[in-house]
Amino acid sequence: MSVAGSISSSARKGPIARALERFTINRIALVGLVILLCIVTAVLTYPLWWSYTPNQIDLRALNKGPSSAHWFGTDGVGRDVLARLMQGGRVSLLVAVTSVAISTVIGFLIGALSSFGGRVVDGAVMRFVDLAMTLPPVIFLLVLASIAGTGILPTILVISLLSWPVLSRMVRARLLELRERDFVVAARGMGAGLGHLLFRHGLPNCIDILVVYATLQIANAILLEAGLSFLGLGIAPPEASWGNMLNAARSTVVLEQYVWQWMFPGAALVLTVLAINFVGDGLRDAFDPRSDLH
Amino acid sequence: MPLKMMTLALAGVALAGATMLTPPAAAQDQKTITGGFDVGPGGFQGNFNPLAATGGFTWLNVYFEPLVNYNADLTAIEGAMATEYAVNPGQTEYTFKLAKETWHDGKPFTSKDVKFTVELAKNGETGTVFAARLGAVSSVETPDERTVVIKLSKPDSGFLATLTKLMILPEHALASFTPKELATSTWWATNPIGTGPFKFKQYVTDQYVELVADEDYRLGRPKADRVINRYFKNTAAAVSALRAGEIQFTYVESDDVPAFKGKNEFKVIEGQSFVVNYLGFNQQVPLWKDVRVRQAVMYAIDRQAIIDSLYGGAATAANCGYVAKQLVPEGLNAYKFDPAKAKALLAEAGWDKVNGTKPITLLTYYNTPQAANVMAAVQAMLAQVGINVVPRVVDTPTYNGMIYAASPDFNQFPLVYAGLQNGPDPSGLNIGLNAAQKPPAGANFLRIEMPEVTQAFDAALAETNQQQLSARYQNVCKAMNANLPWATMWVANRYGVASTKLKDFVWVPAPAGGPYNAHPEKWALEK
Amino acid sequence: MLVALSMLVFVLLRLAPGDPIDAYINPNVAMSQAEMAALRARLGFDQPLPIQYLAWLRAAVTGDLGYSIQKNGVKVLPLVLERVGPTVLLMFLALVIAIVGGIAAGIISAVQRNSATDVGCSVAAFVGISSPPFLTAILGLYVFSVVLRWSPSGGMLTPGTPFSLSDLLSHLVLPACLLSIGHAALIMRYMRASLLEVLNQDYVRTARAKGVKELWVIIKHATRNALLPVVTLIGSSIGMAVGGAIFMESVFNWPGMGLLLVNAVDTRDYPVIMGATLIIGACVILVNILTDVAYALVDPRIRVA
Repeated sequence: MSVAGSISSSARKGPIARALERFTINRIALVGLVILLCIVTAVLTYPLWWSYTPNQIDLRALNKGPSSAHWFGTDGVGRDVLARLMQGGRVSLLVAVTSVAISTVIGFLIGALSSFGGRVVDGAVMRFVDLAMTLPPVIFLLVLASIAGTGILPTILVISLLSWPVLSRMVRARLLELRERDFVVAARGMGAGLGHLLFRHGLPNCIDILVVYATLQIANAILLEAGLSFLGLGIAPPEASWGNMLNAARSTVVLEQYVWQWMFPGAALVLTVLAINFVGDGLRDAFDPRSDLH
Repeated sequence: MPLKMMTLALAGVALAGATMLTPPAAAQDQKTITGGFDVGPGGFQGNFNPLAATGGFTWLNVYFEPLVNYNADLTAIEGAMATEYAVNPGQTEYTFKLAKETWHDGKPFTSKDVKFTVELAKNGETGTVFAARLGAVSSVETPDERTVVIKLSKPDSGFLATLTKLMILPEHALASFTPKELATSTWWATNPIGTGPFKFKQYVTDQYVELVADEDYRLGRPKADRVINRYFKNTAAAVSALRAGEIQFTYVESDDVPAFKGKNEFKVIEGQSFVVNYLGFNQQVPLWKDVRVRQAVMYAIDRQAIIDSLYGGAATAANCGYVAKQLVPEGLNAYKFDPAKAKALLAEAGWDKVNGTKPITLLTYYNTPQAANVMAAVQAMLAQVGINVVPRVVDTPTYNGMIYAASPDFNQFPLVYAGLQNGPDPSGLNIGLNAAQKPPAGANFLRIEMPEVTQAFDAALAETNQQQLSARYQNVCKAMNANLPWATMWVANRYGVASTKLKDFVWVPAPAGGPYNAHPEKWALEK
Repeated sequence: MLVALSMLVFVLLRLAPGDPIDAYINPNVAMSQAEMAALRARLGFDQPLPIQYLAWLRAAVTGDLGYSIQKNGVKVLPLVLERVGPTVLLMFLALVIAIVGGIAAGIISAVQRNSATDVGCSVAAFVGISSPPFLTAILGLYVFSVVLRWSPSGGMLTPGTPFSLSDLLSHLVLPACLLSIGHAALIMRYMRASLLEVLNQDYVRTARAKGVKELWVIIKHATRNALLPVVTLIGSSIGMAVGGAIFMESVFNWPGMGLLLVNAVDTRDYPVIMGATLIIGACVILVNILTDVAYALVDPRIRVA
């Protein structure tokens, strides 16, 4: 999102402005954006309006259902579910946004390098991408998690290292096409360096892929974090994340008797991912010049 | 084009399915008991070699049998393959009278099989865990087919307990293997031959093990026709299968118990875990040298509140490594919850300078939801007095890899939340607490060196008089209570849940699965 | 490529803390180090890593992937190959359900654009994409096995009964359906978008203008061409399905590659991990190549790669 914002003031105002215009008439995308803004605001400001802290235990109030004191009930050690939900949201979103930022940078650089670097570099890099896509994620996760430990930073690392290959392929495909266009050929002919090619021509021409990919990938990263925590490899308790709160649903007792302990994080997660997907889709349509035809 | 092909393929599949969909052709008149016998901490899915078993004895004991075995209360050792046994006064000579029994393939069981098994188990090449434990055995004699005499070079108070875990193996089937081959042989999982009430039929990898009744079992033909041990990825999956009516028994986590209590279809089986949980202080980091700090940890944690709330009352607070009545002396410090006192002790010990509020990793291999709650409670309680611990959960191999590394990084486990077997044989704690058991010798990975504790253990291990033994272990308890090598927490109960259709079913949550005389031949399934 | 993969896995494995013996030891029942040493000695991990790797590689080239450490000396190659079938079966059925359901829903949505059906399908698809697969699996298991008892709670066949197709299908349907949700949602959305685009193309307009019946236009002219991008998506989603199958296989105890791999990682069964990785890697590469070839054949414009 921030990328889109900063770019809109740059030289390529025309298409971006048109894209924004298209985005704003897309009702679903706007709904998604509003939901997202509400969630982000709530998550960021919760200490101001909610008196419980996420790790405050109360052994006399275990597994209590929603009430006026605990709106979303309490968990197995008497912690307030709403407070943990908000804190978990901070962690999940932080992990998702940071890891996507990292993987977008890696994905763009590798994809661009591959397309502008010549046949040999291209071949080598693409084999490397294939390798990264072939490696079973479970092993990769296990090893990274056990070397780096569980926690926020390792989880960010794992997710960012897992998600760049697809983007790099997309960037490469786009830039391969671009490479043969006249203005790039001209720039090369005038002796433009790799950096110039990448950032003056490559980046602006990939910006739509990057923005759309990054948005949708944030949704995936949230799901991936949840999956990791479910396997016990992500954010380790007592630090809250939506993934490890959902993990409680593994126990049948929690699943059927303490519904509020997994229903709220589950709903928050699905709603957030849904909203991001709406926004991402809206962006994709907005960037797609052909969508004017419809 | 692809759509057309897909439709065609789908229609084909549907057609084939429709013509072949017949009701399950299984022989439903057979009485089959299905259970998750290797679920939970006492189980060991996928291990079939009893010589290398570190758990799963409940299941192994359904088709293999040891010479002697614990009774189902785990209070005494009684006969199994041996109908009776005698010990000489010097406790160096054990004489066993053997029962008449045939192996599952019809060959007679004799004293030569016992001799073969003991000698095999002493041979380290078989990859056995018994080699060291049977070190005291000097000879095995077979005066006749039904008598075995085992001689020890020195008395060993744990010898009979070791024998309960040694499943007797058939000489005629295994003599052709070299010991090395046996360690990795597929024999164990394809056609093992035992003497138990059920015989091995098949193992479907990672799915289940199937046994069928041994028609001529010496204690009577089993009431059930088949016993099936299903494998589950975790306890939650086994609980789902139990509730779906697919299995009749499984171990369950204690937080699952409320879902079964008071329901007619299920019977909850409760028993002591014989595992004492503790916070272990790593003596190689400078945090815990001062006993006042260790005391402060004890005072800071409201163990009774955790037991009452998180364990639903089903645990016993431990003030030393033991909770069994005969092992706990009068006059122990109960370390009643007292955060003010904990703070005072920390202030006296200069905790501000030792560590202050810097985070301390609390490492554990317990990955159940309940353990996560316990760790959260412990973290919150210690934070109240100014000790900032951060729980870290790793899987068992990682945990073992860290603590038993050749040159361990002690900062990875300054504090651990762990458990160790403290019964039925109380000597189990020695290996984790005796100064002589520091790695590479034993499992004292916290490098505890407390002379009082070590001396108490040495005295207890050397005691040959059974009457004096409890008093010796009371001294161990006293020393642990005063020196606090660990902040001992509790001994929790463990649970199994059986369908009420299952009659005369015996199961106890013994550490490593026992073994114990469960008499599977009496298990019956009502329609 | 596969050699690089195996080397990478080999090194990563040895970097991970805990070896097969560590996985073998129950921390609650302590063992003396002599006992552990006896167990460890039989593994032959005392040689330097490169030599161990070369030994493995030399054997692997001849098709010998060694023996499982934790499974009583079972050979790795048959063990792994035996698991390919169940995984392929699960993924195939899931994909068929996803393709049929996704394409059908996509066509209906596109044809009745902005109708209640379209909005309903699209929202359902969005929710399908946005739900974590493991949560779907757990909830599905709970609802359909524990509460309704429509389906067995796990496994591939009822233990101890002779093989029957109905038994297999009854175990297969629930995990396959749950696994298909995410893919069906994705395919539906691609199909809808792609069909909408095609419906605007000149040749479709021409067909309509020529007076060809609307239904025929959609089936004959539009759908065929709209399927192109969907085919690529399906190709690439086979690779992703392996990941989703791992969750589903562990929740439903389905004896496929995923479960084998997860169990092997849990017990640090190095030879099995290496073997399974190799086979999975080979399959993924094969699928990628096939997709590229198929795509190039179907769409002659693509000659870039």
